[in-house]
Amino acid sequence: MISLPVLLGVLLIGFLLLQVVPTDPATVSAGPSATKADVDAIRLQMGLDRPLWIQFGGYIGRVLQLDLGRSMISNRSVAEEIALTLWPTVELMLACLIWAVPLGVLLGTLAARRRGTLVDRFIMALSVMGVSLPVFWVGLLLIQYVGGAGYLPFQGRNGPIWTSAGFMSVILPAITLGAVFVGPVARMTRTSLLETLGADYVRTARAKGASDWRVTIRHALRNALIPVVTLIGLQIGFLLGGSIVTETMFAWPGVGRMAVGAITSSDFPLAQGAILILAVGFMTINLAVDVLYAYLDPRIARA
Amino acid sequence: MTEAALQLQTAADQRAIAAIRKKNAVWRRILKDPPAALAALFLILVVAAAILAPVIAPFDPYTTNMRLRFCPPMSDRCPAYLLGADNQGRDMLTRILYGLRATLGIGAIAVTIGGGLGAAIGLIAAFYRRLDTPLMRLVDVLLSFPAILFGLAIAAVVGTGLPGLVLALCVTSIPSIARIARGAAQSVMQQEYMEAGRAVGLGDGALIWRYLAINCWPTILIYMTLQLGQAILLGAALSFLGLGAQPPTAELGSMAADGRKFLSLAPRVSTIPCAAIFLVVLAFNVLGDALRDALDPKLRQ
Repeated sequence: MISLPVLLGVLLIGFLLLQVVPTDPATVSAGPSATKADVDAIRLQMGLDRPLWIQFGGYIGRVLQLDLGRSMISNRSVAEEIALTLWPTVELMLACLIWAVPLGVLLGTLAARRRGTLVDRFIMALSVMGVSLPVFWVGLLLIQYVGGAGYLPFQGRNGPIWTSAGFMSVILPAITLGAVFVGPVARMTRTSLLETLGADYVRTARAKGASDWRVTIRHALRNALIPVVTLIGLQIGFLLGGSIVTETMFAWPGVGRMAVGAITSSDFPLAQGAILILAVGFMTINLAVDVLYAYLDPRIARA
Repeated sequence: MTEAALQLQTAADQRAIAAIRKKNAVWRRILKDPPAALAALFLILVVAAAILAPVIAPFDPYTTNMRLRFCPPMSDRCPAYLLGADNQGRDMLTRILYGLRATLGIGAIAVTIGGGLGAAIGLIAAFYRRLDTPLMRLVDVLLSFPAILFGLAIAAVVGTGLPGLVLALCVTSIPSIARIARGAAQSVMQQEYMEAGRAVGLGDGALIWRYLAINCWPTILIYMTLQLGQAILLGAALSFLGLGAQPPTAELGSMAADGRKFLSLAPRVSTIPCAAIFLVVLAFNVLGDALRDALDPKLRQ
């Protein structure tokens, strides 16, 4: 529901970006030897004389056909560039989530179980530090002490993740990106688990003699994870921000690095396409989380 | 009951109320929590240092001295450089002080403007019930969208540099403040003095400004302080990407990015600005958590 106006807003930004391109598309396609009359004819043919809102409609039509224009620097089509960079970004995010989420849930569970003890305070202190940590600092330290010492590669992507060279090259970026994600997940898990640990069904489980850990994991944690999944969905935007910085630092050939590169080099068509795909990706993930949420909690699907 | 006894009783009541107020004072709670008190003290020092940077900084942040490139802290070549010199022989301590000034200043300006707009949206949404749904829907849209994408989009449209950075940070601080302001205003709207104000014939403007805003602003202000930590982190990330402050501006994020090229030669050139950002944001977050606990009685137990 919410994503439709956002999508329109993003499309509008993309369209405006193409409007600020310093070169006039009609002059370019007419060629250097064209007379003013030729340029005007082409302008008429391309519809550039029509009101902006009609041109905007045309732009939306082209986007729906995946025609995002051509990069001003590489002269390849923007859709092609995006197709090349999309998978590395997905790969990096998966490599980050696969270790950061379980670790966060584990730490959060430990903190909730040992509530008020030193363990709890320590884990919560770690979590606050994680939230305050600039992603680029983690990356710089890893590049300097692990990459610089020659233990792991830190420049670019050496292949798909299932090859050993590709796997090695994703380790450092994934650690960097995950480091800022563990804290929030641990914190959410703790809050949510503390709530469920006080619930009646947990007391019932205890009363029937289930062991302490069994109660925590089978009865409380399963229910506590439902809000955690939603919150992870909300944090995807945060993750996206981290991945843009991480990709830039590690020369990882993803969408985020492409977007930053396109903006700093004023490659407007490419910047427009990259921002569009990042926004659409974000909304797709949110939708996926909503679906997952209904799956985890059947009450929602029924309602 | 005699007049005198009655007066005595009201005086006793007032003293009791004053005692309870004192016990519950927010700052008192903060002081009782050592990490929060430490964070508050640290922030006061940092803000003072940032404001006084031109007075207390030992050198000029932009004067280069190629003979002192990467001079280690307090070594024989540059005994007065407490944190050493950077890749262009500029004093690191001076640049950190000016960097704090820029980073905190950008964050503060953005949060003041964005938070002000957000507060206005929240108050209006709470006051005019009919506007509540559309305004809050708009806020939800803003909130659901990743802050960094705003940064990218705005940098793409208005170009890289400080104006775009401030604009992006402004936009991202609107929605959360709007939500907080609406929540605070809704509980104030329930109070009888709002009705009394309307009964004596005050206009909407006076009601919103003199009754509603004045009772909400402490909460709003505290959340704006909280937002500052997030704004600083985001601003530093955008500057690090080269979309915000540009070198040679002394700004912590752009200093960190600038020093990245000399990581193997002198890691401290980029590590010190990173550590400064971390400590400032950490202090804001620790203090923010404590303030939230102190303000929200539900979480207090």
